[in-house]
Amino acid sequence: MKRRDLLLASLLPTMAAFAAPARAAPHRGGTLIFARAMDSLFLDPVHTAQNADIWISLNLYDTLLQPSADGKGLQPGLAAEHSVSEDGKILTFRLRPDLKFADGSPITVRDVKWSLDRARSKEEGGEFAFLLSAIGSIETQGEDTVIINMAQSDPAILQALATFNAGVVPEKLLMAAAGDTLLEKSKSFAEKPVGSGPFVVESWRRNSEMVLKRNPYYWKEADDGQKLPYLDAIRFVIIPDDATRILKLKAGEVDVTEFVPYARVAELRNTPGITMTLFPAAQVHYFTMNNRPTLKDGTKNPLADQRVRQALNYATNKEALIQVVTHGVAKPARSYMPIATPMAYDGGPLYPYDLAKAKALLAEAGYPNGGFEVTCMALAGNADDAAKLQTLQQMWSQVGVKLKIEQLESATRLARFNATDFQMRTSLWTNDLNDPKQITSIFAYYPARQSNRTGWNDPRVNELFEQSEHEMDSEKRTAMYKEIQQRYYEAAPIIFGMDVPYPIAMSSKVHDFVQIPLGNNIFINAYKDA
Amino acid sequence: MSDEAVAPPAALRPAATAPRRKQLRLPATGLLGGAILLLFLLCALAPWLIAPYDPLAFDYMAIMQPPSWEHPFGTDNFGRDVLSRTIWAAQVDLQIAVFATLFPAIFGTLAGCLIGYAGGWVDALFRRLVDVIVTIPFVVLVIAIVAVLGPGLLNMYIAISAVGWIIYARLMRSEIIAQKKRDYAAAGRVMGYGRLRIIFRHLLPNAASPLLVYWMTDMSLAILLGSSLGYLGLGAQPPTAEWGVLIADGKNFMTTAWWMSIFPGTAIVLGGMGFSLFGDGLATWLRRRA
Amino acid sequence: MHIVGILGRRLLQIAATVLVVAVLVFGLMRLLPGDAALVLLGERASDEAIARMRDQLGVNQPILAQFWDFLLRMVTLRFGDSVTLRVPVSSLIAERLPVTLLLTGMAAVLALLIAVPLAFWSAVRRGSWVDAAIRVFAQVSVSMPVFYIGLVLLITLAAGLRWFPVGGIGTGFLEDLYYLFLPALTLALSLSAILLRNLRESLIEVLDAEYVGFATAKGLPRGLVLRRHVLRNAWVSTVTLLGLHIGSLVGGAVITETVFAIPGIGRLMIDSIFSRDYAVVQGLTVVLAVLVSVVFLALDAVQAALDPRVGT
Repeated sequence: MKRRDLLLASLLPTMAAFAAPARAAPHRGGTLIFARAMDSLFLDPVHTAQNADIWISLNLYDTLLQPSADGKGLQPGLAAEHSVSEDGKILTFRLRPDLKFADGSPITVRDVKWSLDRARSKEEGGEFAFLLSAIGSIETQGEDTVIINMAQSDPAILQALATFNAGVVPEKLLMAAAGDTLLEKSKSFAEKPVGSGPFVVESWRRNSEMVLKRNPYYWKEADDGQKLPYLDAIRFVIIPDDATRILKLKAGEVDVTEFVPYARVAELRNTPGITMTLFPAAQVHYFTMNNRPTLKDGTKNPLADQRVRQALNYATNKEALIQVVTHGVAKPARSYMPIATPMAYDGGPLYPYDLAKAKALLAEAGYPNGGFEVTCMALAGNADDAAKLQTLQQMWSQVGVKLKIEQLESATRLARFNATDFQMRTSLWTNDLNDPKQITSIFAYYPARQSNRTGWNDPRVNELFEQSEHEMDSEKRTAMYKEIQQRYYEAAPIIFGMDVPYPIAMSSKVHDFVQIPLGNNIFINAYKDA
Repeated sequence: MSDEAVAPPAALRPAATAPRRKQLRLPATGLLGGAILLLFLLCALAPWLIAPYDPLAFDYMAIMQPPSWEHPFGTDNFGRDVLSRTIWAAQVDLQIAVFATLFPAIFGTLAGCLIGYAGGWVDALFRRLVDVIVTIPFVVLVIAIVAVLGPGLLNMYIAISAVGWIIYARLMRSEIIAQKKRDYAAAGRVMGYGRLRIIFRHLLPNAASPLLVYWMTDMSLAILLGSSLGYLGLGAQPPTAEWGVLIADGKNFMTTAWWMSIFPGTAIVLGGMGFSLFGDGLATWLRRRA
Repeated sequence: MHIVGILGRRLLQIAATVLVVAVLVFGLMRLLPGDAALVLLGERASDEAIARMRDQLGVNQPILAQFWDFLLRMVTLRFGDSVTLRVPVSSLIAERLPVTLLLTGMAAVLALLIAVPLAFWSAVRRGSWVDAAIRVFAQVSVSMPVFYIGLVLLITLAAGLRWFPVGGIGTGFLEDLYYLFLPALTLALSLSAILLRNLRESLIEVLDAEYVGFATAKGLPRGLVLRRHVLRNAWVSTVTLLGLHIGSLVGGAVITETVFAIPGIGRLMIDSIFSRDYAVVQGLTVVLAVLVSVVFLALDAVQAALDPRVGT
């Protein structure tokens, strides 16, 4: 029931585009000014690791297939059509005719092959090469056909081909860029890249402003047969302070503001001239726990006991957390995955608030009145983190557990996290791939990153995950994922939190901007009233 | 904030505000400053007697309530009573004022005495050290040190002390050099007194009053610096109430719940005023007594 | 010849100072936990990826090798590339420095424009309610955290009355002046309070001195006396104080630039410390150290010119 609501809600923005015949035709032209909290770092789709890069990448580099606006399905991209062989081992894509890069040069099958080969190579493919690792070889046929031969079957391969790192890059331009190695060339190319997407970088002053202008050669057309996108340009301005970003929107100096603090959602909903939108997100907030019996400093870690972790989960009132931190806009977690992930198993909210159970479990584990201290790392200066942990502090004091908050700046926190020198931390996850494999490989599969540095290791889960990687039968794969999720729930390596939407505030003049659940900002259909 | 990194504070100069007739009482403004400080001291010593609520108690039924008889300063986004939090914060802020300046004041003064008295290459070396320190923005240096040591009040004191002593030393050095030229120091030398005796029996007491006054100013600056670090999340750790942290917490709500930041903001201003008025008064009084 | 000698010695001192600052910052940055490889790859990176990135960036080289490399760069004045922003540090500084210089310059001018008239007024009308009001103003401005002043000004003058834009910078010099007015005012307020207090004290001191009384007694108009004698004397200490605060202005710019979303070097410095971008932090400290040292040098010269009694 709840899940369908979410689905419906996620369709709303797209439906709005079709369901309003009475509305005047979209206005063409104009510059959309978009206030971002942080700037992108690097604009080569293959060497992209941060959300600030990933979320705008699809506007610069088009892919063979594209995520649909609701983020759940796929739609044709550079490839007008595609087919998959019976055994899933051969994928054939036929490109649209007359495709061009933003500089007017043709997009050839060679560019597609070269881009994908680079993206999947272990040496040059960056952080996300694993998404394409099941590919054996790529061939081209004639002027418009690309054939992908799978070395192993991969149920998520089509989704992977719609992900940012599979974006098509002009081989000639990149290879012509300055530098001796491919990496150096990529670096100079990405200074002012030319891609295959609907927009192209016009200018970029780092940490200050980036201007994208419309790619006049982009293939997509609107219903009226004219070329998309509608906008002439997008101007991203970087404004780190939350309060300033909102003030700028209210003063009419920017058209869109991202990362609105949840505390201000209600206020902006009631502000005339502003549309406050909560885009459904494949995003969870949670708390990572260190499950190892001793901490880095040699002290005994009560969180190693499964019963203690369960108890703390029961002692956490998710509804209260949602109220305090997000002012009611989030939903309690139902899996470690965002509930919008395909194959997420929804058995109702996990560990509903239950003090009695929490106390009983603690007593069973040998802590009848709690009586121990847990230290949690938080990001310094982050209001959400402070709110979450102060709420947790209050709730856990009910079972006699003392929570100590340690605010660290980001790099220190990351260094300690990677060295597993922590007991607990606040965490946030956003899917980049519309499939459970990415999050599961990181959260639950020990060999990759010790189950997201928790140290929790369940051989059965590892085995199930490895099998699921090549299981082409969707039903069987779903069953495997169900078992993984149930085992994870039972062991509770984390404190389950909440599913949280993306809060975006826009001027009422702006229409049809979409942030899909994977976080990608999609500007292709966006327009701004004159 | 980072102010006064090197400045000779205004209050050190002989203030000619008061009429020239001799008076052995603190001037009225000084008394006012003292009264403010006393009030905060009271809040700091026995907050549980004054604060109407537990500063940490959540009340989900009363989130972001505007000021009322029940909550004179309103409530915050957790439903905590802002008045109680502001009162309890006095404890932390006065602690910051004292602990962040105590070591720099003592060590800096001693170092300044010795450097000023010794002169020569010691003095030259010190001046180069000052050159180095003043070319790095104070805030940046403190942030870097806190980042190395980890956040929290203790490390904040260490960071501020590591840089702050140099100002006292600088002040003391120039005072001592000025005093050294005076007759009594020369007389002391003629009479064959030991160096230490000259420094501590004669030079130091004469140079002490500007130091004392600067210390007052520095305390309010320490509170401000603490609040800036709180804004960056590197100062007092939640749920501890500290004025700067309270303002930072309230800044996102300035248009919807102004009371969350206005009242702690007023407390900081009042605290600063207390220290500075008291300091000025003290300076006048010391001068008149002399 | 004599002047050249003094100048040469001072320049040598500056070079030495800058070198020590650079070494100090080099050490401090290496003490910070974490490195740029972690920051670039983010939360989900595998250990192998991090190791590979460290190799690429050279952050896992022995500290002595890094130090040697750093010294070579310092001597040849090559600042290298920013590893997180992937552009040469020199071009970053060239882009950001003018903004911060304009901001701090405007702040200094505004501070003087606020402090000087108010100090005169308050000194002349000493003990009156005007004096009291001005002193309260000074006290309030000096005791408010910079980020709070900034937000209050943004909410009232920019978002509320719409007199000014809400942060950011303009596209030309004149527009920049307009955009930077509020942040400059934010910075100027606390500085003006410090200048005001100092100036008021020295004005009173001078006003009470015999020669002013003498000049007035001679029948010279009060305004002329103020301008001729008082201002000149008070000028020395004000200029000194202003110069001494250039460093802290840059420090205050760190927070002002964040609140007002200004792409200046203050923000760049903090961002780079947080992202462990060693090259940028080192480049910036060196440039700042040179700037501040030069300001101090100029200050001494001005001081000597204004007041022949002050010798170096």
